[in-house]
Amino acid sequence: MLRPARLRARPEPDARRAAPATLALFLAPALVLYAGFMVYPVLRTFYNSVHTIRPQGVQEFVGLANFRELLSTDLVFWKAVGNTAIFAVIATTADVLGGLLIALCLFSRPPFAKLLRVVWFTPVLMSYVVVGVIWVWIYDYDWGLANSVLRWLGLGAWEQSWLGDPRTALGSVMVTHIWKWLGFNMIIFLAALSALPSEVLGAAELDNCGWFAKLVYIVIPMLRPTIVNLTVLSFIGKMMIFDLVWIMTGGGPLWSTETVSTYVYKRAFDWNTFDLGYPSAIAVLWFFIIMIFVVLMTRVFRQRDKLEF
Amino acid sequence: MAVVEIENLTKRYDGGAEPAVRGVSLAVADGEFMVLLGPSGCGKSSVLRMIAGLEPITEGTVSIDGHVVNHVPARDRDIAMVFQSYALYPHMTVYQNLAFGLRRRSVAPAEIERRVRGAAERLGLSPFLARKPHALSGGQRQRVALGRAIVRDPKVFLFDEPLSNLDAALRVSTRNELIKQQNEIGITTIYVTHDQVEAMTMGHRICIMDKGEVIQVGRPLEVYGKPANTFVARFLGNPPMNLMKAELGAVDGRVRCHVAGISIELAERSVAAVASGVILGVRPEDLYEMPVPTGLGPMAEIPVRVIAVEPLGAETLLVLASADGSQEFIARVGRQTRLNPGDRSTIALDTARIHLFDAATSRAIPHGRA
Amino acid sequence: MGSPALSWFSYVRRTPLLIFLLLYTVISGGPFLWVAAMSLRTTPEIFAAPYALPTRLHWEKFVEAWTKSNYGTYFWNSVIVVVTAVALLTVIGAMVAHALARYRFRGSRLVRFAILSGLILPPQLMILSLFQILLEYGLYNTLSGLIVVYVAGHLAITVYILEGFFAQIPQDLFDAARMDGYSDFEIFWRITLPIGVPALFTTVTLNFIILWNEFLYAVVLLTEDEKRTLPLGIMHFMGSHQLDVGMLATGLMITIAPIILLYAFFSETMIKGMTAGAVR
Repeated sequence: MLRPARLRARPEPDARRAAPATLALFLAPALVLYAGFMVYPVLRTFYNSVHTIRPQGVQEFVGLANFRELLSTDLVFWKAVGNTAIFAVIATTADVLGGLLIALCLFSRPPFAKLLRVVWFTPVLMSYVVVGVIWVWIYDYDWGLANSVLRWLGLGAWEQSWLGDPRTALGSVMVTHIWKWLGFNMIIFLAALSALPSEVLGAAELDNCGWFAKLVYIVIPMLRPTIVNLTVLSFIGKMMIFDLVWIMTGGGPLWSTETVSTYVYKRAFDWNTFDLGYPSAIAVLWFFIIMIFVVLMTRVFRQRDKLEF
Repeated sequence: MAVVEIENLTKRYDGGAEPAVRGVSLAVADGEFMVLLGPSGCGKSSVLRMIAGLEPITEGTVSIDGHVVNHVPARDRDIAMVFQSYALYPHMTVYQNLAFGLRRRSVAPAEIERRVRGAAERLGLSPFLARKPHALSGGQRQRVALGRAIVRDPKVFLFDEPLSNLDAALRVSTRNELIKQQNEIGITTIYVTHDQVEAMTMGHRICIMDKGEVIQVGRPLEVYGKPANTFVARFLGNPPMNLMKAELGAVDGRVRCHVAGISIELAERSVAAVASGVILGVRPEDLYEMPVPTGLGPMAEIPVRVIAVEPLGAETLLVLASADGSQEFIARVGRQTRLNPGDRSTIALDTARIHLFDAATSRAIPHGRA
Repeated sequence: MGSPALSWFSYVRRTPLLIFLLLYTVISGGPFLWVAAMSLRTTPEIFAAPYALPTRLHWEKFVEAWTKSNYGTYFWNSVIVVVTAVALLTVIGAMVAHALARYRFRGSRLVRFAILSGLILPPQLMILSLFQILLEYGLYNTLSGLIVVYVAGHLAITVYILEGFFAQIPQDLFDAARMDGYSDFEIFWRITLPIGVPALFTTVTLNFIILWNEFLYAVVLLTEDEKRTLPLGIMHFMGSHQLDVGMLATGLMITIAPIILLYAFFSETMIKGMTAGAVR
């Protein structure tokens, strides 16, 4: 007859369990701050979005009125959405492709590669304010670098008021933004390129691939996960852009660089009537739109099988 | 089909103090299966990669069919290579992996289809053509790598330790597979490995390398039977050859070798007297338990003490020490032995099969009938 | 870097590449040299010849910027805010990361989800409410208020990086420490933190750069000139003294000098730090 083996030995100190008090010590500061200054604000924004919030705490529940107004009669909002969308799509494509391009340049082991890598990364480290001011100067009509170079090349007819002309303003801000972030993507791509197994590249060499064929048939397909990740990351960042636009153009001229975030700020702090409800609604709506895009993008680009190597 | 000749090949890596490959010269005949054998770091893979064109050559020449190909890019040398890690294209199916090289060379689609299906059939890959590498086992991936090379129908096959990543059982079956393919297809092949069993069973000739240099080239049994130095002697054969310090002396016009407390007459030999002492080599299978089977030549008997007995089933290894305590060596005897650890006994040594090496240079001292 | 199979170019074919390399280096690094030059020239000099090198090095502009134009105040505000916030982030973040990486407890998945979801929250979703909240608690327009917001806002990335690293420390070390009688906090202090120094370094670098450059939260939550951080100070100056390019340039130099200085000595760490969030 078998007896159940109930060995009541001393329980081993399970190093993976901790007393509740200890856990509290480790987690409390972070959770308190986080709850108070991240979670609560988010919830409050949702709350605000269905109210009208006036100064001195006057508020009134308005249901979905803010959203309705936003979607139907707010032309500025739609212009901002359009600008932000154009910005997000074009700038993301440009800086992912650009990052890949300069990463490939460095990967082919040119002279001074290490130094170049350090220099090319510098814009990433600088504040948007610094970058913005410098490029405002570069775009200056009279003495800015852009027009000066054009004049020097004899292409004086092409000089523009880059930030003052509604047709060129968004593009100009885009160029600056791309300039700042190319170095970041470059570093990520360099890491991914270094992780490529050199024997596969050797096999491609023997299969009659020159550098271009290797790039198209082997390198880029194998970099696909990195490209997708960077694209999504980049896209999200650009959908939320505020700093650079605010510093360079403030949303002008004539709303040509107005983005959703700058519009939120303006409606909250720069409007003739003070109402935090409406801009909160914009923020909430935009958040959902971004989430939808992220889910869509990851679904569409998701690697169906693993790229194990 | 091609003749590959390398002459005085040398490779120096940037920042390396010593050259990785020094003055290697080798000729591989048409249709021959040449094995480059050596321990890790001996330079054999570098030699292979220089032949392939994947590594720049520092000095020396590589010729295929009489043409020097140093400056010919890898893709134009008509060489196919199977890599240690298989190097399959992970984002392509098996079919695409096999077809890729042909497509890049603008071979007609019908021909590509024929060759790919043919190779797949031959290697048992037909059911897997639509799969991607990550869905294949190690052995299957290895076959795809082989298939990719076969499909190219090149002049030369290069193999870079293709079996190292397989488990033991798979290694044996794949080895036989490769031998079979080689016999059927018969393309000049250069095969790099550190495994002496692969070298002995697969090669027409073996080229043994150590520290960047060629030590010996020859047919497997030749190299086994007449190793050029102690390195080769111990590299081939498992358990390795026993090496013992010995001294030569002349007595009554006959040369005698003093080793392990006994003296062996080297009859029917003329051996140049060596000042610095010699090393006597004898393989474990040339040591016999008493009584000695009939039909062998003159034997020398060494008193020994048994240190350990290792019964392996098909044979037994005896770890022995000479009675005077000066030497330890291993003998390989039959399925069972009467000896036990601690026993004192006598072991017979087949004097016709001993090897002599110069203690200073490690090189074999040629010996034979005068 | 680079593989042999990709790097075989003859020098002739490489010329377009080399030209491109030079061009891009000038494009990415040139503007900073330009600002450095301008920071030492007076505004009239700059307008006369915008791209010339300084003839006289006007070091006094830095003093003027520091005192008269208030850049000194802005600089110290930045220092106080960033150093405090980074210190708090590191300690608090490390504690959370340690707890998540080491201990199994009910709700750990919830905590992890909650904190890491902060990685994808857009600032706009919180900024307006934070404005209200800080006003209500009297933290509006204070450096402490900003510090608290910074810490809360960047916990996600800090925990993300640290947890990944801490989780890789072999459990054996902790089991041994337990058996040696160490308390939980001692284990954290004596094992996780020392071994985790590289990751801590990474997050400190990352947070330092991000917070030194931070603009949006600061511009909403600070209004008084005395409280402004450097990015705000420059923006304000840009608004009111747009034409004083020389002084602006000097201000810019003051802002980027600490980063450039650190970058010169620690470029590898800073590159790795900044990209740590994106590289798995």
